Amino acid sequence: MRGTRRWLRLLAGILVLAGLGALIVDPQGVVTAAQLTLLAAFSTARMVVAYLVALVFAIGYGYAAATRRKAAVFLLPLLDILQSIPILGFFPAALIFFVATFHGHPVGIEFAVVFLIFTSMAWNMAFGVYESLTTIPQDLEAAAAAFGLRGWLRFRYLSFPAAITKLIYNSVLSWTNGWFFLVASEVFSAGGTEFQRPGLGAYIAVAGRNGDATAILGGIGVLAAVVLALDIFLWRPLSVWSERFRMDVAAGREIPRVASPYERFRWIPRFPRARRQAAVWLRPVVAGYHRLSGRLERVYAAHPKVLIEIRRIDLAMFLVVFVIVVSTGLLGLGRMFLRPLPVDAQFLPSATALSFVRLLVAYGIAVAWTIPVAVLLGESQRASRLLAPVLELFASLPATALLPVIVGFSVFVAASFGRFGQPAQLAAILVALFSMQWYLLFNLIAGVRAIPEDLRQAARSFGLRGRTYWKRVLLPAITPSLLTGSITAWGAGWNALIVSEYIQYAGQVFEVLGLGSLLNHAVYPTPDNDLLILTIMTMIVVVLAMNKLLWRPLTRRATLRYRLEV
Amino acid sequence: MKDVTKSFFENGKEFKVLEPLRFGLAERDFVCVVGPSGCGKSTLLRIIVGLEPPTSGQVLFEGQPIRADNPQVAMVFQSFALFPWLTVQQNVELGLEAKGTHPEERQRIARKFIEAVGLTGFEDAYPRELSGGMKQRVGIARALGIEPLLLCMDEPFSSLDPLTAQNLRDEILQLWSNPDLPPRAVLMVTHAIEEAVYMADRVIVLSSRPGRMVAELSIDLPRPRNRKEPEFYGWVDEIYSLIV
Repeated sequence: MRGTRRWLRLLAGILVLAGLGALIVDPQGVVTAAQLTLLAAFSTARMVVAYLVALVFAIGYGYAAATRRKAAVFLLPLLDILQSIPILGFFPAALIFFVATFHGHPVGIEFAVVFLIFTSMAWNMAFGVYESLTTIPQDLEAAAAAFGLRGWLRFRYLSFPAAITKLIYNSVLSWTNGWFFLVASEVFSAGGTEFQRPGLGAYIAVAGRNGDATAILGGIGVLAAVVLALDIFLWRPLSVWSERFRMDVAAGREIPRVASPYERFRWIPRFPRARRQAAVWLRPVVAGYHRLSGRLERVYAAHPKVLIEIRRIDLAMFLVVFVIVVSTGLLGLGRMFLRPLPVDAQFLPSATALSFVRLLVAYGIAVAWTIPVAVLLGESQRASRLLAPVLELFASLPATALLPVIVGFSVFVAASFGRFGQPAQLAAILVALFSMQWYLLFNLIAGVRAIPEDLRQAARSFGLRGRTYWKRVLLPAITPSLLTGSITAWGAGWNALIVSEYIQYAGQVFEVLGLGSLLNHAVYPTPDNDLLILTIMTMIVVVLAMNKLLWRPLTRRATLRYRLEV
Repeated sequence: MKDVTKSFFENGKEFKVLEPLRFGLAERDFVCVVGPSGCGKSTLLRIIVGLEPPTSGQVLFEGQPIRADNPQVAMVFQSFALFPWLTVQQNVELGLEAKGTHPEERQRIARKFIEAVGLTGFEDAYPRELSGGMKQRVGIARALGIEPLLLCMDEPFSSLDPLTAQNLRDEILQLWSNPDLPPRAVLMVTHAIEEAVYMADRVIVLSSRPGRMVAELSIDLPRPRNRKEPEFYGWVDEIYSLIV
């Protein structure tokens, strides 16, 4: 313990000296470094705020959907729709709304950005909470009831712990999503104006527009460092710790015996004296809280009807809000169709087809390379040790941050095809590829690793090798994870359209016809609300149709046939 | 317990699970309910502790309708139903915390019952680190911890191996014979006839679907009972013939 702290002090000293040295040799560089650190802090702060809001929302929504059967009738389908719509499409509308609400004050933009990140994080977490609460073993629920756990105690000892594993798992996914949208949203044009907030995303985007290669790479490097650091110091320890809250303890599965997610980071100073002092100050608050919750418990116990009444009132309130929102939406739509369609609406069918084909090409490439790589990584320890860190480093970068690099690369490649080269097409497909491929890869790796060892040994003992092994063992076994990965990947792909079909780079605009570029035309340079709504609706319809007609039936069949169960 | 029935409704059709039943428990009663699988024994127990409402009839506890969170009734589960994220100590303290017992008092009582079931030294272990028999000991300590008047057990030995189950049966009888320890009455549900004859003062025999009370027998064998004695087998055979 003490040794580590001494090393830390030494390290800090060296860093300070290095900093001073750098200041003398290259003052401009130090200023840039300080500026980048500050921007990284701004961006991270936005992520943290959005995540905390999403966390509270997810627990509340998931809990309500799981415990109130009547409310669940709307809550679940609503969540399903929210989860499948490409939220970036709504950003211009949200931005205009927030900016107007705050009378053009930059705080409005901050709200819009945080709101966008929130929408990219919240839904899957809420689903995670709902799923874990509905799969609590019946006996455990009965035990909680029989031992008198009600209200807060029941939440603290039963519902919340039961949700932790899935909540953390989904948080990791949400956090990755969040970066994608953060970078996309720090610079945005809507209603003919451009909005910008200081942050790493804005820094990279501006560097891209100016074609400043050093700044692009510097920004991406810092972003990668932040993403990886948070992954190592926050998400991994939390994931390891969350395993403790698993219900299904399959035999042979090792559950780490850690009391705290930060067992490994004991050397970080914890200021025990300050914490004790804070606990003393907070004592009246805690005591008051306990008194209040105790009193509430007694009220509920004495008048069980009160709780039922409260639930009824809040269900009614929810219904009223729901009806108002739906009816205003329908009214707005009705009014829109009474007006003549916007001129650009004629491009909608071809734009939809083109965007779809682009995503399909990107998906094809992604599947083609991720399956063999996943099998290699899943089957060979050595390959995994060598390759996994490199892949994780690449995966840590949101595709939105890579935009300038991808366009630069596309221009370079397209140039070698001469007249036939189309850098904008290539860039649009590559951005989609980078948004989709990691979801496939990491889901597939998990799928390959989940193949039971005895199944593998059985295959080997029957002499299955080469093509037969792939056909009879590997491919069927990874089908469910391929589907899960595909659904997430396509979701990310639809969102990527909005940033990939209209890119500004080095003073030029790279644009291709598609739903994404139509959306851009609907807000810039002259805003056209009808076109905006039509485009978003088309996108939602396509996404929902794919989910209902393709992914849902496929998943159902796959879970029936290919589930690995003993 | 008065004229309790239970039906499930599915697609407008009624499935009778339990025919009208009526029986009572008094102080120092150890009653076993036996019956073939699917006769509604577990449903009956869930109704008795108030986890499920009866379709008709009433369950009275000291003259009042029963409620699930009644701290005078405790339950032991076949699947143990321990909270995987809580230590042995925390699991045992759980019911006491819900009762509003003071933290220090809670800790003292929990330690006492952990000791009573022979798990001293495992207070900080998590359920997944324990064997089946040890898990059920925690379940029993947790139930005794709230110092109930009535202890209900739903097939408490069914998921244990035969040797462990027999040891635990003897230990429970040992605890039961100590009048200083709660509870004042035990109601156990089981499908193992021998187990019922071995442990109970009274055996209530249910028929198969829908559950109907076939007989109520008082086992007057002296304790500790010997499974090898002819009288013991006489009882087992009688119950067996009642069920088949």
